[in-house]
Amino acid sequence: MSDETTLQQPTEYQAESPALEAWRMFRRNIPALVGVALLTVIVLATLYGTFIYSGDPFEIVWAPHEPPGMTPEFPLGTDYLGRDIIAGMLTGGGPTLAVGAVAAAITMVIGIAMGALAGYYGGWVDNLLMRVTEFFQVLPALLFAMVLVTLLSPSLFTIAFAIGVVSWPQTARLTRAEFLKIKNLEYVTAARAIGARDKRIIWTVILPNALPPLIVSATLTIGVAILFEAGLSFLGLGDPNVMSWGLMIGANREYILDAWWPVTFPGLAIFFTVFAVSLIGDGLNDAFNPKLRER
Amino acid sequence: MKLMSRLFGAAAFAALSSTALPAFADGGTLVIASTQVPRHLNGAVQSGIATAVPSTQIFASPLRYDENWEPQPYLAKSWDVSEDGLTVTLNLVDNATFHDGEAVTSEDVAYSIMTTKANHPFKSMFAPVESIDTPDAQTVVINLSSPHPALLLALSPALAPVLPKHVFDDGQDIKSHPMNATPVGSGPFMLEEFKPGEAIVLKKNPNFFLEGRPKLDEIIVRIIKDPSALLIAMENGEADMYPFMAGSQEIRRLEKADHLTVTADGYAAVGPINWLAFNTASPKLSDVRVRQAIAYAVDRDFITKALHRGVSSPQRGPIIEGSPFFDASIPAYDTDLDKAKALMTEAGFADGMELTIDYIPGPKEQQQSIAEYMKSQLKKIGIDVTVRAAPDFPTWAGRVGGHDFELSMDIVFNWGDPVIGVHRTYLSNNIRQGVIWSNTQQYANDKVDSLLNAAAVEIDPEKRKALYSEFQQIVATDLPVYWINALPYHTAYDAKLQNVPTGIWGSMHPLDMVSWGE
Repeated sequence: MSDETTLQQPTEYQAESPALEAWRMFRRNIPALVGVALLTVIVLATLYGTFIYSGDPFEIVWAPHEPPGMTPEFPLGTDYLGRDIIAGMLTGGGPTLAVGAVAAAITMVIGIAMGALAGYYGGWVDNLLMRVTEFFQVLPALLFAMVLVTLLSPSLFTIAFAIGVVSWPQTARLTRAEFLKIKNLEYVTAARAIGARDKRIIWTVILPNALPPLIVSATLTIGVAILFEAGLSFLGLGDPNVMSWGLMIGANREYILDAWWPVTFPGLAIFFTVFAVSLIGDGLNDAFNPKLRER
Repeated sequence: MKLMSRLFGAAAFAALSSTALPAFADGGTLVIASTQVPRHLNGAVQSGIATAVPSTQIFASPLRYDENWEPQPYLAKSWDVSEDGLTVTLNLVDNATFHDGEAVTSEDVAYSIMTTKANHPFKSMFAPVESIDTPDAQTVVINLSSPHPALLLALSPALAPVLPKHVFDDGQDIKSHPMNATPVGSGPFMLEEFKPGEAIVLKKNPNFFLEGRPKLDEIIVRIIKDPSALLIAMENGEADMYPFMAGSQEIRRLEKADHLTVTADGYAAVGPINWLAFNTASPKLSDVRVRQAIAYAVDRDFITKALHRGVSSPQRGPIIEGSPFFDASIPAYDTDLDKAKALMTEAGFADGMELTIDYIPGPKEQQQSIAEYMKSQLKKIGIDVTVRAAPDFPTWAGRVGGHDFELSMDIVFNWGDPVIGVHRTYLSNNIRQGVIWSNTQQYANDKVDSLLNAAAVEIDPEKRKALYSEFQQIVATDLPVYWINALPYHTAYDAKLQNVPTGIWGSMHPLDMVSWGE
């Protein structure tokens, strides 16, 4: 605890960096690696797929509702307007993932800011911010998101924004709990003792140490956000000018009894993406958990 | 006996369980299902299907119409249009009474027409009516400022309910009159109970002036806002009739039910036309060749067959194809992409253009799906379309009414005579900023104006038809709007029902002849 021991430690024992240690743990987690592989394939397909298989997802190329496997040019068939489903899947993946990532980023920014301030300062700040958080938490998320998208008129960004706005309270509460735990630890007291200001303590001392559970939560939020986007599109609140998996489902939903494939394929794509993201999230959770690490 | 078979049928079982129903008498009960919620039941001051269906049961009107657009006697046993078309005389029956026992007199008819003229949204129906004389209790003389051939159609049950003057003329604003929710009329059915948002219960009028009618004892309009719950109610017999059904999936599904009959007949006068509106004041769309190019690019058959599953019918012009005034010789713009591209090039848009499309919020299949189709289809002639979704009706109406649009999908009703529902879209003096369903396309053509104004006052049917033909030829060339299809209104009803009205107004018509058969 004294200055001497902390100064001596590095020379006596070469500690593994926490990140490296987490990676070592993660590597041993087979389901997590499957998730990474799956997500890599999906991301590569949405980024580069259109170079191999080009096609305008909005173009009417064939008769409507051509079943998959019937025409070699359109292996997954066509939708209710006769648009190529593969083209839609490949071009629609990008916006879908982007909505997930942007929504998760918004969630993190709002959630961490609120949680950090509440947890660090306590007192009336904590009270005020937590009441605001609770206010957002008790609103029915899907309805609130629908209202926001309706008011702001549907576009990819407003959808991502709406999802972010409804999902940050969880992150805020998690961040606050971490801050409450960490702010009284010795290294924080030490930082304060050497004269660090609040801003510095919050962002460079506490936050990095609170990050592991937040990373896990962020990963899972991406999955939730993708599902959310699909849900909003299903309810007819997608952006009609940008192809996304959710939009494909929403646009073809009316005709689901006539043709299952225009809805099923993007649905499967969403399922596998969310599945992969969840596996990774679980893997990270295990990797960051010191209790599991000691085994 | 028919009643017994009904009692053992699912229909009777469900009807008994639905509302607090007394025992059946001879005529039985008809349960009409509807998704629409009426604000009140007075069709003299409120347009729309939700009010008109119950209103036409409660209120009688001077005339009624058969399926051939022929006027039939109703409260007026005979009528006469003067040689110059400026006076219309109605001779009323002498045995008609309101549900409260008061006699129906010429005073009531005069009051009702003047009230409807002042308060109904369809201003053109009675606009030329200057004054109404009532020389005696059974004679109504309508004095017109100009001949008005649309008048007889405007005296239909859906548009001209005869109100009891002694009830409504008490100095209160008729639009918010408390009796609008508990109206007293002279029609075949009397209001028993109006549960807003739930049900309208109508009882047989025992003193109805037409001998032997109505056949039914009771009509219940059940409001089921959830369409899928409504379909289930139709399938298991909880409801007997579902008018104004427009969803292709609903139609196809109920067609499969053995005990139901599904028909598209009976909506000729409603004339719901689904169209693509052009903002002709936009520099991109002011050239008629661009509008024609878009018309040539769009495939009506694809829309009616693929998007609407074959239940809707193509509509080529401004007057509904079932109307006697429709001219079948107008250009149809059968799909021709080469011609469309050539027209775009001629108009100076060889490199294409960007346009936005709005659509009226509502069932996806009719407007949103077509807007999405336009986005994909117009790409083929170099037009890059951005779909502008409107969150709600006021937003869309604000854009289109405010002339802040380029293309818009819209549904507009003919409402019987062209004077009522057609003129408003094409008359240049009806370009009114901020008013939806006016001439929002800002189309102005002097020739069209004079043809329509002449047709409005032409009493000779043949000459009138010729004027409308010329009008249709011109607008089908100028294309202020591109007409796509007629909304596929269908009625589903229990196959045992007799005489379900398949006249021009569908079930916005007295159901006094409807009965349960074997």
